[in-house]
Amino acid sequence: MARETRGRMSVEQPLWRALTAYRVLTMLYAVALFASAHRHFVRPEVAVGYLAVLMVWTLATVRRVSDARSCTRGFLGVDLTVAVVGILLTPLADSAARIHAGGPTLPSIWTAGSVLAFAVKGGWRWAAFASTLVAAANLVERGAPTRDTVHNVILVWVAAIAIGYVVEVARASERTLARALEIEAATRERERLARDIHDGVLQVLAMIRRRAADGATGGGADTAELVRLAGEQESALRALISRGLPGPRDAHRREDVPDGGPEPGGEQSDGPLDLRALLARHATGPRIALAEPGTPVELPGHTARELAAAVGAALDNVRAHAGEDARAWILLEDEPAQVIVTVRDDGPGIPAGRLQAAESEGRLGVAQSIRGRLRDLGGTAELFSVPGQGAEVEMRVPKT
Amino acid sequence: MGESPLKVMVVDDHPMWRDAVARDLADAGFEVVATAGDGEQAVRRARAARPDVLVLDLNLPLKPGVAVCRELVGADPALRVLVLSASGEHADVLEAVKSGATGYLVKSASTGELLDAVRRTAVGEAVFTPGLAGLVLGEYRRLAAGPSGPAPATPAPRLTDRETEVLRLVAKGLSYKQIAERLVISHRTVQNHVQNTLGKLQLHNRVELVRYAIETGLDED
Repeated sequence: MARETRGRMSVEQPLWRALTAYRVLTMLYAVALFASAHRHFVRPEVAVGYLAVLMVWTLATVRRVSDARSCTRGFLGVDLTVAVVGILLTPLADSAARIHAGGPTLPSIWTAGSVLAFAVKGGWRWAAFASTLVAAANLVERGAPTRDTVHNVILVWVAAIAIGYVVEVARASERTLARALEIEAATRERERLARDIHDGVLQVLAMIRRRAADGATGGGADTAELVRLAGEQESALRALISRGLPGPRDAHRREDVPDGGPEPGGEQSDGPLDLRALLARHATGPRIALAEPGTPVELPGHTARELAAAVGAALDNVRAHAGEDARAWILLEDEPAQVIVTVRDDGPGIPAGRLQAAESEGRLGVAQSIRGRLRDLGGTAELFSVPGQGAEVEMRVPKT
Repeated sequence: MGESPLKVMVVDDHPMWRDAVARDLADAGFEVVATAGDGEQAVRRARAARPDVLVLDLNLPLKPGVAVCRELVGADPALRVLVLSASGEHADVLEAVKSGATGYLVKSASTGELLDAVRRTAVGEAVFTPGLAGLVLGEYRRLAAGPSGPAPATPAPRLTDRETEVLRLVAKGLSYKQIAERLVISHRTVQNHVQNTLGKLQLHNRVELVRYAIETGLDED
């Protein structure tokens, strides 16, 4: 809706207005041309009849060229027919001498209005179609292509196509502008929401969590559940206000991220991405903490997505081996030559010996896939465990 | 803790939250000497009430929490500031810590964690979350990476290998006790390392501020 409103106050609008005026003025011009030369006509009644139709048609359809929506295909078809019929009727009404001398057709320059309507409505292809038809009618009317006729035909043809093209470009840039304005409005709205949410809901949720947590020490499964729910909602909201709602396009992109597979059709650009934003999507819920630098950690798009996917796999691994209740910490470090991401959990860890055993048998499951991803990026992944301090996966990716 | 209770002041613009935190602190035996709902009020009341520990939110009306911290610690270096803030305010948290805050806790922390953090802050211990450790690590690397301010005459502060190691472990969520076990050093040593990382950053920040003040002629009054 908003886009429609903006569209109406566009570059296109003046063109429609000009066209409306052009049709009426050129209709009057055609009538005046005839009136000044009616004595030379061999069958003036044909000219009078045609001009009467032209006048009625033009005045009845004044509103049809006021914007793109009123200008229907049906109208365009009839309008072009009126123009072509007028051109073809000229030899019947006017004297052969005048026509041979390059005299005007019955609708004269009114036909250009019809062609321009095609151009403004449908772009250069429509314009080419309509102007070609008018050109053909003109050549038929003359009988033989004189130099003037050919010049006029080419002029109308070129002008119509150029205007059609300009309209297309204008429409495309308006769409871009509209999209930019939408993004800007969404950002402003998000900032406003962020302030409001910070001042209200977040504080209350954090407090419920605190209060309930204190109360829950006495027991009560319901309270424990409440604590968990409040905590989850709180971190979900925090994530929401710092990164914003996924729009339809974003949502699509986000779905692509976790699997991090090959990029279909180059849809995802390889421009630099801030790894912090990608990792933040994994750090949801109160059980996963993310420690990161205060400045962006940029990696090429593909590398960043793969690394984030590896972190996702590591977190899945935590859930699978350390249990749903295990906590996890993600540490992101940006060194001059490499980026290091460490995922640690507070689970039971990996018993000494089991790691080597599993590795020598070639089955490390998720850990293996993390290693594979990192190897493809030219980096390394190391898995280690300190008794009583959970397990850690340290992933290193070189920057160049 | 000693004979007289610790004097604490709570600054937060949300009344419900502020009162809840103040009540929790009072219940735990702290003396809540003042509360404030905006930055200006915080500076005025802190000067009058002279708390030992300031529990400070960074997102404040009238004057940002970072400015409150800078002014109050600048005037009274003995004041301990514990930042209690919503997460996702990276730049602010880092600024507050550089301006003299020695502790940082997110608002989703439990009451037990808050009380513990206030006690530790009061005795001069640095209270780090993994998030803050990550930020501080990043800040050292940023400073080491090269000049960012106008003509950095002061050399960038550096962490020793051990300090880096300790900070990384804090960022990975290990407790000081676990770190002490892993590195086979004492709990006290771990604390010292963590504190040093903050101290160097604050010192560097003060030197930079003074240098900047001299350069721009702000030192004349």
